[in-house]
Amino acid sequence: MTTMDTSPKNNGSEASGKARAVAYEPKGEAAVADYRVIDAIRRGEIPAPTLHGAVEAPDAVIDIQKFNLWYNQDAKALHDVAMKVPRGAVTALIGPSGCGKSTLLRSINRMNDLIDGVRVEGEITLNRSPIYAPSVDVIELRKRLGMVFQKPNPFPMSIFENVVYPLRIDGERRKSVLEEACEKSLRAAAIWDEVKDRLKSSALGLSGGQQQRLCIARAIVADPEVLLLDEPCSALDPVATLKIEELINEISERYTVLIVTHNMQQAARVSDYTAFMYLGRLVEYGPTAAIFQKPKLIETEHYVSGRFG
Amino acid sequence: MTLTTLEPPKPAPAPEPAQQASATHKRRRTLPSALGEPMVWLTGGALITCLVMIILLFSMVIINGTRTFWPRPIDRLELASGETLLGIETQHESATETTEARTLYRIGNRDIGQASFRWINDSDISSKTQPDDAVMLEREAWGVWFGVPQQIIRVDGEDDGVEVVAQGSEAYFESFDELHAQARADKVQIDRMKKHDLGRINAEMERARLQLRQAEIEVARDDSELFRFSPVGWGAFAVLAVVCVASLVKFRHLGTEMGSPVARQGKLIRAVSLIVLLATGVALWVGAPWAESSITEADITQMRERLVQREAELQQRYDEILAQVREIESEDSRLRVSVVEPNTDRFAPTSQTLADQRLHMSQIVRQVRPNTMGLTEKIGVYFSRWWEFLSTFPREANTEGGVYPVIIGTVLLTLLLTMVVTPMGVIAALYLREYAKQGIITSMIRIAVNNLAGVPSIVYGVFGLGFFCYTVGAYVDVGPSETTRMGVSTWWLMLVVSAMLVIAGVATRLWSKPDPGKLPSTMNVMLQRFSWVVWAVSVVCVVMLIAGTPYFNGLFEARSSNGTPTFGARGLLWASLTLALLTLPVVIVATEEAIAAVPNSMREGSYGCGASKWQTMRRIVLPGALPGILTGAILAMARGAGEVAPLMLVGAVKLNQDLPIDGEAPYLHADRSFMHLGFHIYDLGFQSPDSQAARPLVWTTTLLFLSIVFALNLLAIVLRAKVRSRMAGPTV
Repeated sequence: MTTMDTSPKNNGSEASGKARAVAYEPKGEAAVADYRVIDAIRRGEIPAPTLHGAVEAPDAVIDIQKFNLWYNQDAKALHDVAMKVPRGAVTALIGPSGCGKSTLLRSINRMNDLIDGVRVEGEITLNRSPIYAPSVDVIELRKRLGMVFQKPNPFPMSIFENVVYPLRIDGERRKSVLEEACEKSLRAAAIWDEVKDRLKSSALGLSGGQQQRLCIARAIVADPEVLLLDEPCSALDPVATLKIEELINEISERYTVLIVTHNMQQAARVSDYTAFMYLGRLVEYGPTAAIFQKPKLIETEHYVSGRFG
Repeated sequence: MTLTTLEPPKPAPAPEPAQQASATHKRRRTLPSALGEPMVWLTGGALITCLVMIILLFSMVIINGTRTFWPRPIDRLELASGETLLGIETQHESATETTEARTLYRIGNRDIGQASFRWINDSDISSKTQPDDAVMLEREAWGVWFGVPQQIIRVDGEDDGVEVVAQGSEAYFESFDELHAQARADKVQIDRMKKHDLGRINAEMERARLQLRQAEIEVARDDSELFRFSPVGWGAFAVLAVVCVASLVKFRHLGTEMGSPVARQGKLIRAVSLIVLLATGVALWVGAPWAESSITEADITQMRERLVQREAELQQRYDEILAQVREIESEDSRLRVSVVEPNTDRFAPTSQTLADQRLHMSQIVRQVRPNTMGLTEKIGVYFSRWWEFLSTFPREANTEGGVYPVIIGTVLLTLLLTMVVTPMGVIAALYLREYAKQGIITSMIRIAVNNLAGVPSIVYGVFGLGFFCYTVGAYVDVGPSETTRMGVSTWWLMLVVSAMLVIAGVATRLWSKPDPGKLPSTMNVMLQRFSWVVWAVSVVCVVMLIAGTPYFNGLFEARSSNGTPTFGARGLLWASLTLALLTLPVVIVATEEAIAAVPNSMREGSYGCGASKWQTMRRIVLPGALPGILTGAILAMARGAGEVAPLMLVGAVKLNQDLPIDGEAPYLHADRSFMHLGFHIYDLGFQSPDSQAARPLVWTTTLLFLSIVFALNLLAIVLRAKVRSRMAGPTV
């Protein structure tokens, strides 16, 4: 009883006083739970991630090896993250805000290069080729990956031009090739029927959900090795979200997908593997079913059931 | 129970201090000053004042500008002194303590020694009528003539036989229109033949002469052996070439194996050797001691013969056309009118010096008989005067005739300056916003650019005259001056050095990039600074190479040798460049803002698709910023079109018979001086010999100027709206 009395008050003062990322609110029996790993992380330690057998030695498309990232000299965002992303599956990155899941995703196509003062240590390989080697051309690297962002960002041009943009920048001019690729990609993104009659009209006239599917079409038009999705549904309504999720399921038959999501149900619905991150550390990583039904850590269990985070 | 105790803290903690304060502090009623009502009135009043000023300005220009061409009645005045005058009332002054009430009359007839405007005291006027047959003749020269028509005559030969075509004012008016139309049509034809046909022949002759002159100059120069290296210099270059070949051979494998630590050095050495080898190779070829001139004396003789032949042909055609012109002219000059002014009964003469010869019919531009005109006729005259104003050249020191060349000059200048300033400003802004690292230096550059906008415009004029006209222009005309021209071997040596510098600049710039995911090391930073220095030095070198090249002798050497500068004087090109410089800050600032307003998510999306920075900029950023860039261009255009002060220094002239654009190749003559509406207004108002006559034209020209600037802006705004709607698309 006493804990119940005091906890809401403590919670209020703590939440406003500390950074959002640090806040966790024990609720109910969670308050008495033993958060060993999380507590260690909050003390600044880097505990070894809890891995499930299935992800220890998969056929990895992306292999992240002891990856560290600093935004400025002292703002470290990723701590010794090491994980293998299995080929041909959907892998979800989950965790509370500021846990570094987006940073990790953007490290894979080196989007963080655009930010001044970012420094990394460790290596990431894409199909065994290192991506942080000095000889790597970052533009060539990005051409091997497709990326979809949090907010739909179609370019202010026609739907057709949006989809074939990656081909255009490769210098492709043949109309037949472009048209074929456009149709194939729009069909794969399940938006062909909606836009086939107005390919020449502006992409900005589409609804938010359609725009995001268009962005997915744009991301897959050049057959990327991996599709990176950075919270693709966070700006969409439930119906559009549902459509995107169905689309991810379909796409995953052909592409390896790495998705960052805030939405636990979404991770459970669309992904084959799930990685739980906290404060820049990988906490637990395994098959989605295992993570959601019988996680090894109490923290993970509480997080996925919404009792913490 | 515990829950109920927990409930009160629910509201956010923020309101608490307010509640506490209310316990000690009693809230007062809101004072009138707190409502800010006076402020509303003040700001509103200020706005109204501005609006009234603007409306006043526009209405004044419009009212004064539009009524200039309205035909007003001619009064016949009989004065107490016995004089009889015909004139148009233009201004009236009421009596003051020292002066009587008086009226300003336009009485014209300057060629018989009359002032064209005259103040007449109202008390001196004994009678004032508006006779039906009074006319005002607008003439090619000597201003207007007021008089009463008497007859039209046809003169045969040298004033021997005179045939009366129409006698008396009634007959005169009946036959005038038809005869006058014919005479004017002939006049137009003569003008066209003189200007067009004869002008073309003249231009062709001039061109042929210049070609010969150019050839002569080139032969003379080649004799001076300016282009050949001295044997020692040539030998030195040969040695340099051998060294390059040797280094290419020796280092051909340096750093080519995978992962070699000297890969960069190897590449650099090979690149330097190759480029230096190429440069020296060309130098050896061009400057060889046995190199020969391409033009010989024999060629010159041949050319001279051809020229003489061609000149004879052209002269013959010239004479033929001139004979035709003379014939039409003499035919036309036979038809004369006798329009008599009432005071001394003198008819309008051909000119002041030929006072006993009657005015030629073809000298009359327009005859107005306002006292019998109905409204429709007046409107007809009004618009015909407007058309004349817009479509003809000025006459009588700009106080009569049209402003056609002025409009052309203004529009060309504005378009040229916009075409120059927009790409320049956009490129500068692009670098400043997208490429340059944001820091103290970029901030300082921004401040400097903004300050540039505040520099008095005449300063730009001085700069334009000194730099563009007299430095760059002279260079374009005759190449580098004797002081800046380098010797051949020096120049080639410098070229080789510059090439090496450029390579060094590129190499250090590339090496100064940190490894992926690493912060720039001290080495990187040093290299970067070094590359900046190298770039600065190589830019200076390239400028020196261009400014001192011995291989460029100007594009207009032959003309300049006759003492006529082409681009080395005030002209349209330099004026537009000067104004481009003046309006550059406007474009830079607008473009920068537009570029910054393109959402970062667009850039990220593009990078995510594998686009390079340049591709992102070209395909996403620039199109997205286009409406903003166009806004900048519009602002620059408006600013540039209205500038007069710098133009007085760099090219605007009072009168220019040769338009800067015409049917002769190269069609746009950017070297010519031009007329400009802004300068024209100043000229009309303050430099005119007959300021009373010019005054209404000042208003009309101002109105025209306003309309042109407005039209140009409207054009650009429509363009921007089009671009915008194309970009955004209909939000379906």
